Amino acid sequence: MTRTVCKLKIIAFCLVAILFHSLPAQGEESADFGKQVLPILESHCVECHGANLQESNYRLDLRSSALGTADFGDPPIVPGNAVESPLYQVVAGSHADEITMPPEGEGEPLSAEEVAILKRWIDAGATWPDEFAGNAETKLTTDHWSFQPVVEVRPPVQYSMHVKTPIDLFVLQKLRTNNLDFSELADRVTWIRRVYLDLHGLPPTAAQVNRFVNDPSPDAYAKVIDEVLASPHYGERWSRHWLDVARFGESTGFEVNRDRENAYYFRDYVIGALNSDKSYRQFIIDQLAGDVDGDEIGTGFLVGGPYDMVKSPDINLTLMQRQDELADFVNTTGTAFLGMTIGCARCHNHKFDPIPQRDYYALQAVFAGVQHGERELTRIASRNTVDQIAKMTAHLKQLEARFGQLREIAASIESGDEQSKKLPAVNARSNVDRFPPIRAKKIRFTILATNSSEPCIDELEVLSKDARNVALSADGAVATASGSLEGYPIHKLEHVNDGKAGNNHSWISNTSGSGWIQIEFAEPAEIEEVRWGRDRNGGFNDRIATSYRIDVANDADQWVEVASSDQREPFTPNSADAFIRKLPKDQADEVRSLFASIQEAKNQLTAIKKNVPKAYVGTFKNPEPIRRLHRGDPLAPREEVDPDALSVISSMELSGDTSESGRRLALANWIANPDNPLTARVIVNRVWHYHFGTGIVSTPSDLGVNGTQPSHPELLDWMASQFMDNGWSLKWLHRQILSSHIYQQSSRPRQDGLDKDAASRLLWRFPPRRLEAEAIRDCVLLVSGALNPDAGGPGFLLFRIDHENVHHYFPLKEFGPEQFRRMIYMMKIRQEQDDVFGVFDCPDGAQVIPDRSRSTTPLQALNLLNSRFMLGQADLFAERTQAVAGDDPVRQIEFIFETAFSRAPSDAERQAALELADEYGIAAVCRAIFNANEFLFLN
Amino acid sequence: MDLRFLLDRRHFLRHTVGGLSGVALTDLLVRDRLLSAKEQTPIRPKVDPQNPNRVRETHFPAKAKNVVVIFCSGACSHLDTFDYKPELVKMHDKPMPATEKVITFQGEQGTLQKSPWEFKPRGESGKMVSTLVDHLGEHADDMCFIHSMTSKTNTHGPGENFMSTGFTLDGFPSMGSWAIYALGSENENLPAFVAIPDPRGKPQSSVNNWGPGFLPAVFQGTDFNASSPIRNLARPTQISPREDEDTRAFLETLNQRHLQEFPGDSQLAARIASYQLAAKMQLSVPQITDLSTEPAHVLKKYGADDTENKLKAEFARNCILARRLIESGVRFVQLFNGAYQTGGEGTSNWDGHKVLKKQYDVHGPILDQPAAALLEDLKQRGLLEDTLVVWCTEFGRMPTFQKGASGRDHNPSGFTTWLAGSGVKKGYTYGATDEFGYKAAENVTSVYDFHATILHLLGLNHEQLSYYHNGIERRLTDVHGTVIQDILA
Repeated sequence: MTRTVCKLKIIAFCLVAILFHSLPAQGEESADFGKQVLPILESHCVECHGANLQESNYRLDLRSSALGTADFGDPPIVPGNAVESPLYQVVAGSHADEITMPPEGEGEPLSAEEVAILKRWIDAGATWPDEFAGNAETKLTTDHWSFQPVVEVRPPVQYSMHVKTPIDLFVLQKLRTNNLDFSELADRVTWIRRVYLDLHGLPPTAAQVNRFVNDPSPDAYAKVIDEVLASPHYGERWSRHWLDVARFGESTGFEVNRDRENAYYFRDYVIGALNSDKSYRQFIIDQLAGDVDGDEIGTGFLVGGPYDMVKSPDINLTLMQRQDELADFVNTTGTAFLGMTIGCARCHNHKFDPIPQRDYYALQAVFAGVQHGERELTRIASRNTVDQIAKMTAHLKQLEARFGQLREIAASIESGDEQSKKLPAVNARSNVDRFPPIRAKKIRFTILATNSSEPCIDELEVLSKDARNVALSADGAVATASGSLEGYPIHKLEHVNDGKAGNNHSWISNTSGSGWIQIEFAEPAEIEEVRWGRDRNGGFNDRIATSYRIDVANDADQWVEVASSDQREPFTPNSADAFIRKLPKDQADEVRSLFASIQEAKNQLTAIKKNVPKAYVGTFKNPEPIRRLHRGDPLAPREEVDPDALSVISSMELSGDTSESGRRLALANWIANPDNPLTARVIVNRVWHYHFGTGIVSTPSDLGVNGTQPSHPELLDWMASQFMDNGWSLKWLHRQILSSHIYQQSSRPRQDGLDKDAASRLLWRFPPRRLEAEAIRDCVLLVSGALNPDAGGPGFLLFRIDHENVHHYFPLKEFGPEQFRRMIYMMKIRQEQDDVFGVFDCPDGAQVIPDRSRSTTPLQALNLLNSRFMLGQADLFAERTQAVAGDDPVRQIEFIFETAFSRAPSDAERQAALELADEYGIAAVCRAIFNANEFLFLN
Repeated sequence: MDLRFLLDRRHFLRHTVGGLSGVALTDLLVRDRLLSAKEQTPIRPKVDPQNPNRVRETHFPAKAKNVVVIFCSGACSHLDTFDYKPELVKMHDKPMPATEKVITFQGEQGTLQKSPWEFKPRGESGKMVSTLVDHLGEHADDMCFIHSMTSKTNTHGPGENFMSTGFTLDGFPSMGSWAIYALGSENENLPAFVAIPDPRGKPQSSVNNWGPGFLPAVFQGTDFNASSPIRNLARPTQISPREDEDTRAFLETLNQRHLQEFPGDSQLAARIASYQLAAKMQLSVPQITDLSTEPAHVLKKYGADDTENKLKAEFARNCILARRLIESGVRFVQLFNGAYQTGGEGTSNWDGHKVLKKQYDVHGPILDQPAAALLEDLKQRGLLEDTLVVWCTEFGRMPTFQKGASGRDHNPSGFTTWLAGSGVKKGYTYGATDEFGYKAAENVTSVYDFHATILHLLGLNHEQLSYYHNGIERRLTDVHGTVIQDILA
């Protein structure tokens, strides 16, 4: 806890204390703290809740802690209310979960008298005088490595002919302490293949390989590195890593799983940011607050995850859904940028890391205004469009201002000048038609026109002279109708005279724009008024009977019209213009023309706005107040929490009235601050993880106490500080790593290495590994010659989508160039994996994946061997081979090996391939090649 | 608060980088990990990368080796199947006495409604079961009912996620994935975990029900049923068996040569082995899915010969497939009844909001005879000795009809599941809902408890079966769950 927070706490505490001081607690006197209360705490509690031990994160020798919270977040002492205080409950034996203190066998139970003293003290306000406050109000601290400042480290001194960069020195030092050494330099073909597969997710072309292999210049390696980093394929490959961390998907997930047709903007944003080497600081700011400082598309990060769209009137469900959304924002931000599992503090203080439950809710408060949804991208709209919108908006404002003036003028005119005898226009809620009393047995309400669809009447009341509704079915009246819409229990004929109004108890005709209701009363009656409406609850404005007639029949069934819409002002969608009647003619005419102009302006504005692209990057509204929730239960809210960050690092010192965007921007800057000990370490470690298969910290989203220790802590700090000094440039970092000997060394196994470090964590060799789903697919396409290089924009679909309420996806059977784009451009539908490559541990965006598993399954083998997609690719590769290498079988085999493996076949391989090709054609060879380990592994 | 000492105190709980002398399993599974939240050390399954589904040791002797889960998607009403409520008959069409106004998923409630189906006493236990599930009712003496189930959510997607994965959110490993991650499977030539979707399509929460979540993909459920085979299993028709064989032989040549450069590399060896496993699977799966060898009386018993009710016949074939898989040693089978793909809200699943009678009169017969026959068949073949049959659904339904409709709304406060087979009591009833069947009232049971019990029957301690993901040691039961000792035989 920072000092400020503590101060606030003391103030709050004092207020409480003063408050309770001024209220005599039921005639009882408080106990004397120093003489009576403190001795009890010291003799029974402090041993486990004091300086040496803080069971449940709670100590009773410090005022700040004692009157603060404990694990599970609730304050054990509730000043003024002992019975509600967990501390009192556990010593008095009244705790709901039967917890008693001190625990059995760990101390003397309190005597009845002592319990009574504590009760009196708490009931009187739990006053804790300053002189007993204990040593300084302590700040939350930790000695865990990742919370300590990043320090400037000097690379160790090591001598080796292999050392190329400072990174090598750190690694070599650790190797040597384990009696190991580097491996030899990998051959050039292996290295260039490694660099391309790692950085592009595509193998190098034969030309690229040849150029490098035959380049005698000393900067041959550096040239390849520059070339690889300058290519847009770099962003296409590495964006995938970040999108895994951002749990990015292009459908809502859960049961309805609707597609998000414009979420791809965020994917393109990430690709672009990487390719342009945007500073990582700005990358952070964009994604949390790009709408106010940076690239507005960045906030797609916040809403990249699944979203439960199924809403219900059930409040419990609604609250829990919102809590889950906020948790998703907090957790993803916490793990992605800070490598902290902040979500663990949702229900109680973090079990391992110094994150009190309050911090979790302080971070919730940062995101309290963030909502899932699309937003207009006003910044990337064309200048022209933006100008037009501004102009039209101003014009509309002007018109509306004048309209408002005229309305005020009308309001100032005394009503009562019955210029017009007409009744107000019909409205959706309630309409009254009065007529001279007439004896009637039946009444018929005939609808001649509506403002839309089939007419709806929620209740038809017919009032007799004695003000009784004679139409009620309960009193024996019987309703009939021209016809009724079927299939909706809330819309039935019987609802029209059941005495209940509102859309949920209404009648709808089965014909559009017309229909009639007839009610026969139990007895003939003298009637004089009809009341009717479409939805008296005001929820609906459609289906209004705008033109109608009311007829009544006497006992002899002779019909006569008693009222109709002709007696009313004409219906207009804007019912508010009833005030026109009060205005002199010229002004009334002006209102009418204004009204038309406003409609026109609105229509135009809508039309122009269609030119403003929309993207699924979230919307923002005023932050809802956030309260700490006892055990994370939305039905157990506790105190309100202001926005803040992790208190163990520092407070953002924001007040509760900080604007929505101000909160996010503050957090972004707090994370992107060079003094934040986590930020640079986390990203540097992630980059290392993707290059070598395992991070320096092998748990890339958890640098907390429950994560693993760094294998090379000094190296991590050296890279983190250099990274910040070099403009937070990811390409700078890649260059450092790619230029090192550890990245250039061989991946072959060595016995001494395997014996001491089978997992190659110490990097005595480059650790080989299987490629990921996307890289495998892209490599196949490149090699077969089918790869469609179209970059960016809407992704390609692997499905036909049924756009029902719940979206259903049916895999395509045929593939063409559109599907032959790189897999990063595949629309990422949750729960619908690619039929072939999904089983290669491809995440579907439901969860944050900082570290993909790499499993091996028979289904993977079957998919690569037998799927229609792969057979098609083998054929295309065969065609390409034929086209390039001609008819010479030997040349064909050589081309296939060069293209797929970047090497020539061995004699035995050539022979075997020739035999296979001879028997079944070269497509058979291509099919095998696509399944080969050599093709699928990064070595 | 000063956490320094706290951390020191807990230092002993954590262990440092342990992988430096690790064995060759590295990439498949070994993510050196720490303690679970409850300070129990996780028991790491020892996974052989070349045969990741090879049988592994249980934590303690198991009662059941295999599991069949019959999952009724859409929330099957307990009040019209297994939870008999005489009060509901007495109070029929009267408002439910309740202090608060009940707002459920779709809104307000109408009056209490007795089940449109009659309940009859069954077997020696005299258990009252509705005529909607007459055939299943006949096996009441073999079943162990839990009438006091509760869920955390009242929407289907999160509800099915919760029942299948222990979390309401998308993306967590399913029960079956946990089971095979821990235990592997008896038959390496078949998938260890099979999900059999309903003939009408996928359930509401789709593949989440059998997905691996963040577990390695090798532990995902393989989905196929009697009418749609495993994708890409069969050799493509345009490739002759000989060409296929020769191509694989060539592939083997390439892989062996490559392996020579990386002697002893377990990842490479695992991939080579996976092609051998795939070949075995190509032989054994068609044998399992070919139901033509089933005698006529078996088809008849399951209702697979029903020509009037095609859906029932298809579901019956899925039930026969389930038995054949269990018979062949598949560890975990998840059999779905009800689908979303062809229409939600009760059209093709148990979501009877609007016209319960009409909709359940469709779904009941599809489920009843085939599922009952599966239970009986397993029993007759002695397979129930080491197989656990689980019947479940995502949550229950209201004792009232929805206002303005003649169906029941969602109810996560009380519902029924049952277990049958090895390790559980027979003809036993655990827990109860209140007099109307609205809320669980006696021995309230969570989905966590339910999962903990299933794992327990498989010989697994749910608190020690975990997998580290994104900073957290994850379990099927999150940080909850207590084994329901009372129902164990």
